[in-house]
Amino acid sequence: MVAPPLVIDALTSIFTTAIGPAAFAGVAWGILGGALPGISPSITMALLLPFTYGMDPSIAIVLLASTYVGAEYGGSIPAILIRTPGTNAAAATVVDGYAMKEQGKAGEALGISLYSGCLGGMVGLVVLVLLTEPLATIALAFTPAAYFALGVLGLSVIASVSGDSLTKGLMAGLLGLMIATVGTDPVSGVNRFTFDSPELLSGIPPILVMVGLFAIGELLAQTGEPGCEKAASGTARIRFPGHAMRKRLARPQAIGSAMGTLEGIMPGAGGTISAFLAYNEARRWSSHKEEFGHGSPEGVAAPETANNTVACTALVPLLSLGIPGSNSSAILLGGFLIHGLIPGPTLFVNHPDVVNGLYAGLLAANMALLTLGFVVMMPCLWLVNRPKPYLMAFIYAFVVSGIYAIDASLFQVGVAIGFGLVGYAMRYFKVPFLRMVLGVVLGFMVESNYRRALVLASGDHMTFLQDRISAGLLGLAFVFVAGALVRQGVDALGRRRLARSAA
Amino acid sequence: MLALSAGYYWMAVAIPRSQLADAVGPQGLPRVYALLLGVLSLTMIVKSFRRRAQVPSVAATPPPVPGRESAGAGPRFPLWRVAGMLAIGILYILVAPWLGYLLSIAVLLLATTYYQGGAINRQVVLVSLSGGVLFWLLFVVLMRVRQPPGWWLPLS
Repeated sequence: MVAPPLVIDALTSIFTTAIGPAAFAGVAWGILGGALPGISPSITMALLLPFTYGMDPSIAIVLLASTYVGAEYGGSIPAILIRTPGTNAAAATVVDGYAMKEQGKAGEALGISLYSGCLGGMVGLVVLVLLTEPLATIALAFTPAAYFALGVLGLSVIASVSGDSLTKGLMAGLLGLMIATVGTDPVSGVNRFTFDSPELLSGIPPILVMVGLFAIGELLAQTGEPGCEKAASGTARIRFPGHAMRKRLARPQAIGSAMGTLEGIMPGAGGTISAFLAYNEARRWSSHKEEFGHGSPEGVAAPETANNTVACTALVPLLSLGIPGSNSSAILLGGFLIHGLIPGPTLFVNHPDVVNGLYAGLLAANMALLTLGFVVMMPCLWLVNRPKPYLMAFIYAFVVSGIYAIDASLFQVGVAIGFGLVGYAMRYFKVPFLRMVLGVVLGFMVESNYRRALVLASGDHMTFLQDRISAGLLGLAFVFVAGALVRQGVDALGRRRLARSAA
Repeated sequence: MLALSAGYYWMAVAIPRSQLADAVGPQGLPRVYALLLGVLSLTMIVKSFRRRAQVPSVAATPPPVPGRESAGAGPRFPLWRVAGMLAIGILYILVAPWLGYLLSIAVLLLATTYYQGGAINRQVVLVSLSGGVLFWLLFVVLMRVRQPPGWWLPLS
């Protein structure tokens, strides 16, 4: 239990030391970096790292951790406004966030995103403070077989959110898995589908696929659509959810928090998977299932709560075990090491001031998120209401600049444009491209852990059932897929009966 | 899709074997993916033939872009317009190493604005140039992110 004096100390240190200003500065920088496609949270943090050398260790760590919090939220702004996920984790927000924007509810979507993000951040912080030690033992119990099963559970989402055409959804998912096989083989080191191009050796980064399919694909679709010469008009204001909406969002937010906690504590899982799982589960348990994919507020709340929860819970394995579970926590680990601090059990004994300072800083960061998130949305909403030719030109420039920033590669800009064409074709043939994104994101995790598990078990597939966590997750995935198939069958039967009775 | 799955399978089989490979090997899952995609493609083909047999007139109509079915008459050559947008992006890739980031991004802004229905006038040129400077300040100066350097001005 956290002793009340600790909470009071945290609040006091926010207002009396440099922790508060550092948290505000970190969140502001993080929102800016997260909102730029191609600038990942880890890059945003890495850019700050050199400036932290001369700082007090507590302030430096708070600055970096707050940047992570800001960046995870910042990714949702372009996802909602211009259909471009600023970060990988914001990809699930695009679906309903952008649909709401298209319905003239951009302000409402941004309000829900900010409200859910802050809530997720606070839940993540409570989990971090109270449960770091017990949750770390769960993380350690995850074997490659369990990670494989986790990936399969993520892929089971494809079956349950494929809407009318399961076949098309599965095809899109398979295409994503195929894209994930490009590059150096995770076990043997053999090059696959690289066409002797050194640019493809490290594979195709998921962000290229996402930005191509969502942002460039949308630009192309709008170019070819009727009335593209007309200027956009109208205004929008940020709207926080009212009492009734807050009540409706409670369930998806609870689901998002649970997913964010589960995924955050496991090294390697991350915000993207938690966001997709939260989206799927929110849809499953919603009483407004039909709204998902067409501008559901719950479809924005669940993934945003999840990825902002992860921003705090991802620090659990780092603080308790010294294991960086993601690129962003690896940068934070770098921040610790620069100042001679070694994360792990000894950190709590040797440097409790740094740990308590970090908790206080994260509390301040979530408070700052609410304030700064509100401030930056006004200019963002103004920007997206500019005349359409300007808007499209600036989005195009924004996207190519962001993509180049990933690896300073014009080849990758070309790849993203190529995926833009794929996105346009998928829209044309009504193939759901979100499933492809899911395949790309989970493909590497599924394949590498499947094969590692088999290597450890000398090729015995029973290992996936003998491992209790793996068996449980695979069983859950089976139930989800079977449930989706049964539901589709019942729906099809109902439609047939309806058609017969109409005839 | 069937052709894609066949081509992908053929390439998967051609992946060189390694002495470090495990029982599944680097070809294992790609081959499974290709076979599954092939089966699903055949399923789609059979389904579409069945549907065509039931409703011939519907099958002959090309599918519209989702969500835009009732938006009225579109541009005369939508695919050409899409190709034009792609061409602007490819042009950026080609000229950026020569012109550098600031000028290339300004050209991209100008070309896209004009292509999307804006006129070429003083205001559009000014907005494009200002946009180029804004992007340069944001990415290169503030974020310290590398952008194409170009040969005429070291502004990367």
